[in-house]
Amino acid sequence: MVAPPLKARRLGRLTLELRQNLPAWKQAAFLTICLVFGIAVSVAILAAAGIAPATLFDEMIVETLGNADSLRAVLVQATPLILVGLGAGLAFRVGFWNLGIEGQMIWGGIGATAVVIYGIGPESLRLVCMGIAAGLGGLTWVLLAAWLKLSFRVNEIIATLLLNYVAAYFLFHLLYGAWQDPTTAFPQSVQYRSFERLPEIGFGVSSGLAIALAAVAVAFWLVQLSRAGFYMRFVSANPGMARVVGVPVAAVSIGAIAASGALAGLAGFVNVASQEGRLTQSFFDGYVFAGVLVAFLSRNDPIIAAVVGFLLAVLFVTGQTLQVFYQIPFTMVQLIQAIIVIAVASSEFLIRHRMRWTR
Amino acid sequence: MTDFLINWIAGIPVTAAPYALAALGLIISERSGILNLSAEGLMLVGAMTGVASCIVLGGHPLIALVIAMVASSVVSLLFAMLTVVLRINQVIAGLAIVFFCQGLTGLIGNLAGWQNHPIAGLDKWTIGPLSEIPGIGKILFIQDPVVYLAIPIFYLVNRVLRFSMVGLNLRAVGENPAAADAAGVSVALYRIAAIVAGSALVGLAGAYISVVGVKLWFTGMVGGRGWIAVALVIFARWAPWPALGGALLFGCIEAVIPRIAAAGIRVPQYLMLMLPYLATIAVMVWAGATQRGGAGEPGALGQPHVREERR
Repeated sequence: MVAPPLKARRLGRLTLELRQNLPAWKQAAFLTICLVFGIAVSVAILAAAGIAPATLFDEMIVETLGNADSLRAVLVQATPLILVGLGAGLAFRVGFWNLGIEGQMIWGGIGATAVVIYGIGPESLRLVCMGIAAGLGGLTWVLLAAWLKLSFRVNEIIATLLLNYVAAYFLFHLLYGAWQDPTTAFPQSVQYRSFERLPEIGFGVSSGLAIALAAVAVAFWLVQLSRAGFYMRFVSANPGMARVVGVPVAAVSIGAIAASGALAGLAGFVNVASQEGRLTQSFFDGYVFAGVLVAFLSRNDPIIAAVVGFLLAVLFVTGQTLQVFYQIPFTMVQLIQAIIVIAVASSEFLIRHRMRWTR
Repeated sequence: MTDFLINWIAGIPVTAAPYALAALGLIISERSGILNLSAEGLMLVGAMTGVASCIVLGGHPLIALVIAMVASSVVSLLFAMLTVVLRINQVIAGLAIVFFCQGLTGLIGNLAGWQNHPIAGLDKWTIGPLSEIPGIGKILFIQDPVVYLAIPIFYLVNRVLRFSMVGLNLRAVGENPAAADAAGVSVALYRIAAIVAGSALVGLAGAYISVVGVKLWFTGMVGGRGWIAVALVIFARWAPWPALGGALLFGCIEAVIPRIAAAGIRVPQYLMLMLPYLATIAVMVWAGATQRGGAGEPGALGQPHVREERR
């Protein structure tokens, strides 16, 4: 038997074209569509976990933003998020994947607590010394990874991530050993005294927020106005060309990486010196991805990073509320963060490609 | 002393198997040109589904391992969609998947009450009279079935990658997707298949940790082994047998940590726990110092393929 001749398929196929310069409003529209989709998926997952959308709206908008105490908690939570977001953004600007934010925060906390425990500096300048020690701690830890990359071509993604675990175990070594609080025997350091804790600046908000906003201003000047910012853009666009025309590529890169680590160290300092008032086992949990998220969503822009940091803080505080009152594990916040990053990353596809059905 | 050594060496396969299987899974997907950082997350998925299946089925650890492989493959479809279909930055996609899986497993596992729920796990096989040979018997002939299966799996993957048409096409897609595309090889299909197949092995590695190793599940139990596996792939220059060697090295280190404390040698516990991570960095430094730039690395690793794009 002879097979019938195959009919030419008239279905056609999907082709992709690269778009040039999509108008800003269309980009914003694609971004919004994807964000709404991501938020809808998150709400659906929460609903499956037993949080009705109405309850969620109530907890997130009415309770968290409408209540002075919760709003204060949001501002406290926003501080480290803005700092790590700025830090991650600075490193990403020179093409260095700094995923060691948690390790750098740990060394920031250790540096600040070392100043407390060894009583370095006069009481009036103690907080300044703690801040400097924290910045240096974070900076040293990120420069270790940068050195491994530049000298031995060790991939910085792997190096920074693994150094997080090393830093965490070193922290546990201190907290279960030499630095354990002798009065409570819990694995945490002694309580800081009042002059070692960040003071409040009106409305019950810690001065940590002032540090974060100052950091936003400095970062804005650095990346948008200063010569170093121009160099950074040059280095990330075309390092070879930058080198040829005399841009100090290594110095610019290392400077941005060091600033990134110092900002993460400061975030650790803010967390131990305002929220906890002591070095704990968990003051750094979950900040790697938070930093990546803030930097990614803000496209490494310091001002937008502050806004995204604030919104992420709303999510964090709501997550804590849901954990306490509805027994939803805090990992839900991680899941929602991941979904939002995936949604926004997907919008890049729609912005950069046009799909066309060709026959 | 000989007892210490024999117990230590006999414990190595159990600690080395997760590294070996995860690294092999990563090699399959990275050879197709996908920079795969999702291992840590997919191992978490495997670990949770493995224990969950054991609890729900009331035993049957081998079936649980298979279910964990399937679950990990299903989640990896999301990674495949992001990297192959939507062509988003593969580092961002990998990190997002890791966090997605951390959140998802923490949420489901805790809500379902699987946390810290002990299971019977998978027993070791005792291979007849051979297991009674002093020393060697305990090391080679009292191990679990996954360890015995790992060797043929490595052999098979190596054969397929190196000598079969499928393996040749897969490597072509990873080296030069534009050329492979011109030759009529479907880049997207090979990449998606490589991610899904590799992720099944990564999921098996995760399930091995919970079902065979710890016989328990708790949030975030993989503890960075996925990242170590990623480093192992670079160290092994994307080749299966060197990856197995590296896995045995890390297995050695991980197996010795609890045994030193048990032998009554007083060492700072938390500093000992740093060892696998420090060893990984040391190995990476060694690899970076001795390897020529990019030796063995798939040519298009990390680059999305768009047919219409000019390079």
